[in-house]
Amino acid sequence: MAYILFTLSVLLVMGFVGFSSKPSPIYGGLALIISGVVGCVIVLNCGGVYMGLMMFLVYLGGMMVVFGYTTAMAIEEYPETWGSGLEVLGGLLVGLMMEVMLVLWVLSLDEAVVVVVGFSDTGDWVIFEGEGSGLIRGDSIGAGALYDYGRWLVVVAGWTLFVGVYVVIEIVRGN
Amino acid sequence: MTPTYMNIMLAFTISLLGMLTYRSHLVASLLCLEGMMMSLFIMATLTASNTHFPLANIMPIILLVFAACETAVGLALLISISNTYGLDYVHNLNLLQC
Repeated sequence: MAYILFTLSVLLVMGFVGFSSKPSPIYGGLALIISGVVGCVIVLNCGGVYMGLMMFLVYLGGMMVVFGYTTAMAIEEYPETWGSGLEVLGGLLVGLMMEVMLVLWVLSLDEAVVVVVGFSDTGDWVIFEGEGSGLIRGDSIGAGALYDYGRWLVVVAGWTLFVGVYVVIEIVRGN
Repeated sequence: MTPTYMNIMLAFTISLLGMLTYRSHLVASLLCLEGMMMSLFIMATLTASNTHFPLANIMPIILLVFAACETAVGLALLISISNTYGLDYVHNLNLLQC
């Protein structure tokens, strides 16, 4: 399929419209998880293997799980979904219609029209490997450089996480 | 700018609009904040992959770290609100009467 990356980005926007139209947060969390999966496949399609894996593990497996059970603590008895009530449904339909019209407009551009956005000489990205040691290249080398060139940044981020945990404990303690 | 970048920037804008509008729940705005962070992560990773500059992958990783901290603090505030008022409805937050 030629335009797989563009199709996935359209699905990403539709997923984002799904939780931005503000249904009950449990359905919003579901839409965010689906958008996260689509976004991870976009990242994988552009050769970012390590970043896609990290997004799955840290983002979907960590933060969404925390969101899931926090939402389960603070939810009402009859959560409103996308079909119940006109506000959420209207927002969803307006967003989807906007995306469909945008897609049709982008697809109708041809090479004679010089616009900022066009399909004229793109398609999907191709990752060139080049010569050199071809076994551990790619995204992993950038993440490994975090611990080499970015030593101090790792220390600061780790300390920020510790202080964040302390802040959370102090907030939840209440009195 | 390819259409994929345009769609990802559009996803960021839609999440931003969703975060700025309140309906009844507070945690829905936190979800839209998470969506903003995710779209920024995707865009930074795509830029680092397509300009063949793998050192720039440091930025989305650190962005994810600080987004996780922010999520934790936001959810802690949500839990303390939920402990005080029972639910996280936005119209309960009326101590500042102005």
